[in-house]
Amino acid sequence: MSADGRPVVRITDVKRTYRMGTVDVHALRGIDLRIERGEFVSIMGPSGCGKSTLMHILGCLDRPSAGAVRLDEVDVDELDDNELAEIRNKKVGFVFQTFNLLPKLNAVENVELPLIYAGVGFDERREKAAGLLESVGLKERMYHKPSELSGGQSQRVAIARSLANGPSLILADEPTGNLDSTSGEEIIRLFQELNNKGITLIIVTHDQEIAEHSKRIVRLKDGLIVADEPVNNRRRAS
Amino acid sequence: MINLFEPLKIAFASLLVNRTRSLLTTLGVIIGVAAVITLVSMGEGAKSFILDQIRGWGAGTNFISVNPGEADAAVPELTLTIGDANAIKTQVKNVRYVMPEVVGRGRLRYGKKEYTPPFTLGMTEDFPYAYTQKVAEGRFFNKAEIDGRKHVVVIGKNTARKLFGEYSPLGERIKINGVGFIVIGVLEEKGTLLFYDMDDIAYLPISLTEAVLGTKTVTDLNVVVIDEASVPQAVTDITRLMTRRHGKQDFQVFTQQGGIDMINNILNALTGIVSAIAAISLLVGGIGIMNIMLVAVTERTREIGIRKAIGAKRQDIFLQFVMESVLITMSGALIGIAVGTLAAWGIMTWLKMSAVIAWGAAYLACLVAFLVGTFFGVYPAMRAARLDPVEALRFEV
Ligand SMILES: Nc1ncnc2c1ncn2[C@@H]1O[C@H](COP(=O)(O)OP(=O)(O)OP(=O)(O)O)[C@@H](O)[C@H]1O
Ligand SMILES: [Mg+2]
Repeated sequence: MSADGRPVVRITDVKRTYRMGTVDVHALRGIDLRIERGEFVSIMGPSGCGKSTLMHILGCLDRPSAGAVRLDEVDVDELDDNELAEIRNKKVGFVFQTFNLLPKLNAVENVELPLIYAGVGFDERREKAAGLLESVGLKERMYHKPSELSGGQSQRVAIARSLANGPSLILADEPTGNLDSTSGEEIIRLFQELNNKGITLIIVTHDQEIAEHSKRIVRLKDGLIVADEPVNNRRRAS
Repeated sequence: MINLFEPLKIAFASLLVNRTRSLLTTLGVIIGVAAVITLVSMGEGAKSFILDQIRGWGAGTNFISVNPGEADAAVPELTLTIGDANAIKTQVKNVRYVMPEVVGRGRLRYGKKEYTPPFTLGMTEDFPYAYTQKVAEGRFFNKAEIDGRKHVVVIGKNTARKLFGEYSPLGERIKINGVGFIVIGVLEEKGTLLFYDMDDIAYLPISLTEAVLGTKTVTDLNVVVIDEASVPQAVTDITRLMTRRHGKQDFQVFTQQGGIDMINNILNALTGIVSAIAAISLLVGGIGIMNIMLVAVTERTREIGIRKAIGAKRQDIFLQFVMESVLITMSGALIGIAVGTLAAWGIMTWLKMSAVIAWGAAYLACLVAFLVGTFFGVYPAMRAARLDPVEALRFEV
């Protein structure tokens, strides 16, 4: 853990309350979290404890009801919608449980999407996207549509997409939730490789075994952090 | 700097995915544009057809016609006389030719052959000059022959063919309504004027119409002045002179400009009506497009969520959907222009006229389609742009 005092994530007393008619649902009830550059964190906890809510806030898809969020030394709370979009585009890469690829576009076009919104010209972005697909082992599948890819392959395309603009942080909400154990293993190996290259990762998982591949496990319950400890016998994906 | 090219490409790709639906959506625009283009092309074609006919007949802008009857008479009283024609020729300034027309029916007989052309006309010697009517064989009759009541006749090509076949009729003696005449000229072919065959006709000196055709009523009186600039003064003078001779204004004076104006007015009125219909169909089409775009936004909520999650700004999503709507209406306009032009071409060919491509109307249609697409695309695109990314991502189709 680098102790240079410049964490990738630093959130203090973050709360998120949903208003359902007259009832307030407290999804997050005061979260403090600091994540350094190069970390690989798993977030675990029972269903409904607020894991996805936290990920959305970290990924600038959502704003907290209270508390401060700093990403890469930027105070996110003070940004307007366009600036948030820019952070989502450049600083964070999101990986979803259901892959969330655009079905009408092929693999390389999906990977290019963040580059389009970053204003990268066609030739450059095609080259970059092809390189990213190659790095996730899908060079041969460049022109395949998501419907022609397996779940594991789709998730690797999604990971390539999340890496497109060289983000400081990858957020993955149950990235292996829709995959069989073999594909899940492949994905977690890919994450370990990325982390070895210095990329900061936060994943949400229900699977203790998957979580043990990361370096640190944060446990949530009812919108609060109840445990935060390093992984001692870290697993290596084969 | 807003990049318009990328959202345009995205919009175009989405459009192609739903080809059939896009086409159906834009049907209102297609029909509206096609209707206007058809009418305008046909109108322009008809106008140039009529103008060509008038010009081809030699009637230029220095023509003035005096028609019998009061302005609002249902059945005009035929009070024009040959005397009126003479008076105009001698008393009105700058008049070059005067052609009173006495229309009758003459049964022509040559030997045993008999034929009645649609028109047999009493005419003056000015006719071939005023209408630039060439005489193919022989000559037209002159003033001396009119004054001398000489029994000479000039006939059209088709009439000549009916009576004489391929032989030259020059110098042949024929009977008109039983009265003996000599054919002194055959006119060069003129074709049809407003659907009348102008080559199936016989002209005889106006001084003989009473005796031969049994009428001396002048049905039409055409005057040619020396140039276009003299027309207004001549109209005033003719009106004053004729009113004095008749004691009231029981006639109407028209100029060619008036005729052209009238054609223009009719066409403009028609274009106005069709444009109004087209405007309604574009409005309905526009609402249809808005409806479909709202459906598209709902259907593609998840896509919008994904795009936002990876960095699309509001304006990116907004432009994508507005451009999709504009592309739909613009392709509708282009299809409408093609369909309308083809339809006009088909109809005009069938009418044996030629259609004129209505470029002006086509540009206008594109512009209007652009505006309709923008206007009705804004609201759905705004809905899309404002979607909350988390909720959009959660959306299940
Ligand atoms: N848009 C929303 N409106 C109202 N309540 C919401 C909304 N989103 C989440 N919640 C509530 O907030 C709480 C936390 O939800 P969240 O999705 O973060 O849970 P989670 O830990 O990701 O659960 P799971 O493991 O099932 O994905 C839940 O009680 C949920 O019902
Ligand atoms: Mg969740």
